[in-house]
Amino acid sequence: MEKILAKNKLDEWVAALSDYQVSAPIMEDDIWSYKPVKGTAQLDHSNTVQPPKGFSFPQREVFFSFEQIKGEPPRLTPVQPKAQRHAVFGVRPCDGAGAVRMDTVFNDQFQDNFYQARRSNVAYVGLACNKPQGVNCFCQSVGGSPVSSAGMDVLMTDLGDRYFVAAVTDTGKALMTAGGKLFSEASADDQKKLKQTHADALAQPQRAIKNLDAVPAKLKASFNSPMWEELARACIGCGACTFLCPTCHCFDINDENTSASPLRGNRVRTWDNCQFPDFTMHTSGHNPRENQGARLRQRVSHKFQYFHENFGMPQCTGCGRCITECSVGVDIVNVVNKVTEHVG
Amino acid sequence: MINLQDIRDTARNMLAKNEVRGVIGYRRSTNGMLAEPVIITSPEQADELIWDPTCFHNLSLYLVEDRKFLAHTRAKSDKPIAIIAKGCDARSTVVLMQENYFERKDVYIIGASCEGTGVVDERKLARKGIVATNSAFDGDDFVFTTAQGEQRIPAREVMADRCLECREPFPKEHNIALGENKTGRQLEAPFTALKRFEELDPAARWEFWDRQFERCIRCFACRSVCPMCYCDECVVDSTSFPVTGQTTAEEKANRVRWVERSATRAENMTYHMTRVLHLAGRCVDCNECERVCPVNIPLRLLNNKMEREAREQFGYEPGASIGGPSLTASFLDTDPGKFIR
Amino acid sequence: MSEQQAETTTDYEPRIVAFLCKWCSSAGSDLAGVSRIQYPANATPITVPCTGSISPNYILSALKKGADGVLVSGCHIGDCHYIEGNFLARRKIHLVKELLGFVGVEQDRFRMSWVSAAEGAKYSQVIKDFVDDLRPLGPQTKVKADRS
Repeated sequence: MEKILAKNKLDEWVAALSDYQVSAPIMEDDIWSYKPVKGTAQLDHSNTVQPPKGFSFPQREVFFSFEQIKGEPPRLTPVQPKAQRHAVFGVRPCDGAGAVRMDTVFNDQFQDNFYQARRSNVAYVGLACNKPQGVNCFCQSVGGSPVSSAGMDVLMTDLGDRYFVAAVTDTGKALMTAGGKLFSEASADDQKKLKQTHADALAQPQRAIKNLDAVPAKLKASFNSPMWEELARACIGCGACTFLCPTCHCFDINDENTSASPLRGNRVRTWDNCQFPDFTMHTSGHNPRENQGARLRQRVSHKFQYFHENFGMPQCTGCGRCITECSVGVDIVNVVNKVTEHVG
Repeated sequence: MINLQDIRDTARNMLAKNEVRGVIGYRRSTNGMLAEPVIITSPEQADELIWDPTCFHNLSLYLVEDRKFLAHTRAKSDKPIAIIAKGCDARSTVVLMQENYFERKDVYIIGASCEGTGVVDERKLARKGIVATNSAFDGDDFVFTTAQGEQRIPAREVMADRCLECREPFPKEHNIALGENKTGRQLEAPFTALKRFEELDPAARWEFWDRQFERCIRCFACRSVCPMCYCDECVVDSTSFPVTGQTTAEEKANRVRWVERSATRAENMTYHMTRVLHLAGRCVDCNECERVCPVNIPLRLLNNKMEREAREQFGYEPGASIGGPSLTASFLDTDPGKFIR
Repeated sequence: MSEQQAETTTDYEPRIVAFLCKWCSSAGSDLAGVSRIQYPANATPITVPCTGSISPNYILSALKKGADGVLVSGCHIGDCHYIEGNFLARRKIHLVKELLGFVGVEQDRFRMSWVSAAEGAKYSQVIKDFVDDLRPLGPQTKVKADRS
């Protein structure tokens, strides 16, 4: 289903999606974030600081609440996420590709019910990138593209005064159908303009990972290399790169007590971060990843070697956030290129 | 104006003569026009060092990292490590020495004055829509290399707030100092940003901070980048308490957890306020916490508030002298007490 | 300690957490008790060795758990059992108070007093005044954690 939407009709389409909580990028306090919108949306953003993974995989998820009266077995009450349908507008192809990877992980040998319950209610209305949205974009180096519809339910392309809107899934078709007469048929000229716009987008220069195919083997060979300590010298072990990554998904599970007697609380899943020094700390006090070099090696290897070995694709989608947000210049493109150059 | 060659020569000579273990300085990163911290250990690497308006990082953080590394590897060192320090960085180095984190002889401070301009604030630059591949100091201006050619901007339009309000751009504590002493260059009165905020009434203040604390993702970048947050076990890390095989479920359940992992408003607020109170009298306003926050929480306002109390109520200046007392472990008979019933 | 549901504003009883130093204020509160002085029962006392040992964590934790007001009470200046503890408290509590006010928490919710072991009457008055001042403010919601 391919249609045309005049730019001044975007607001009406958003308003027509009354079954959904619509979110779109809003500039607040100098950063772009997805915020709920009602009846209006602008798509003049570059990319949000936080990827949309939070819609399916929130920072905090309550699994169940528990109560323990002395002498009785503990009472567990499962918590189900609220059934809320989300339509997220303005999702960039790197983040759509991110959703593909998150879905792969959470539906692998074990189906994560919590993730699934939320994910099945989230629709992505993507916006293709006519030019790179930042100086650190490199989606094309990792098998992606600025005009890819992977992970999307709808993909919009900006043709100047109008959007070319293409449904990718049945959900996408339903979203577009809800807009009814707001859409007009795509003419042959529109198709031609779309092709040209996409071709132009693909021709725009980006940062480059020099030889992606060689990377997994090089990373494997680099495990004991002193290069890692050197590459991570400036790293301060903060969580920015990981928490802002569209595909990072490690989590911690803790009990958060709300009452001591009787014992009551919630079992909660929260985001965890392999760059935190305590991530691999054992109860004995031994930490297999004791220095920042080991932790950097872990993150880069997970992205470019382990995920490739497990699922046949790089986990990194080239959004560039980890490079832009790193306050001390740790640069994954530089790291991967250096390892490829100097190892084995 | 600091001659870059002076910085490089100083570093090269000290390393060639084996006077220091390394020099902590700045080099060009692979990310656009920005500088990044580097620790060079051989004289040849001295040519990598740069000095430009993007040298905003507080390198005294790496003195802490270096000390932790030495302790962890049980290495001893008879040679100091050198650091290129702006005024603010020298002050935080003083606080570290005040707290006996290392001795004066362990660090060789190559003071670098940021003279009349301070360093650039990336967000202010972005607001002006400037995308540059290079930046340079030039008197009271910054010069940026953009796709449209060279663009000269008066530094005060894109300087960080803390630079505008800075009382001491010249590193008072140093072994050698490069650049002119422009102490008193204040382009804005100290605490200007803070006072502007304090004009808000409590309801407006709460509305502001509610939004900020809600947005925090607890990435701990603010804590990780702060040279003063050097504790190996931080009070807010509820998962770093040691447990053994004998710890019972009840003991674990009753363990004191000041802050939970959930990044909700209440937990985030507790985290930030605890951290700010632990930094009272120790924070020298290097602004790194605010700069590194990926979601733009104006942490500087909180730390400034504590600094203002320290200066105005207790006559205390953070980072003033190595032998000075700490703010919260000392007192004066004149400390305000009217609020106590 | 059992959880209490928040009352409606008409029946609202503010809950106060009072950090009392063992040597003066806690003894003072005991004296109020044995003297049979009637005063509101809204304060939960927690005895600490010295106000100087009070960490900002205690205060923030009490507020996070839903305390409507927090009181810190210790020996008079010059009378600290540990000589200097209350001098340090005077500084630290000032900082905590200023920071809470800075982020917009009502100033009246957090206060400090000097109550000696002989001042049972003063202690009861401090609590009574605190409860009266807290009632119009309603339940504390700003720092309180959402326990759902």
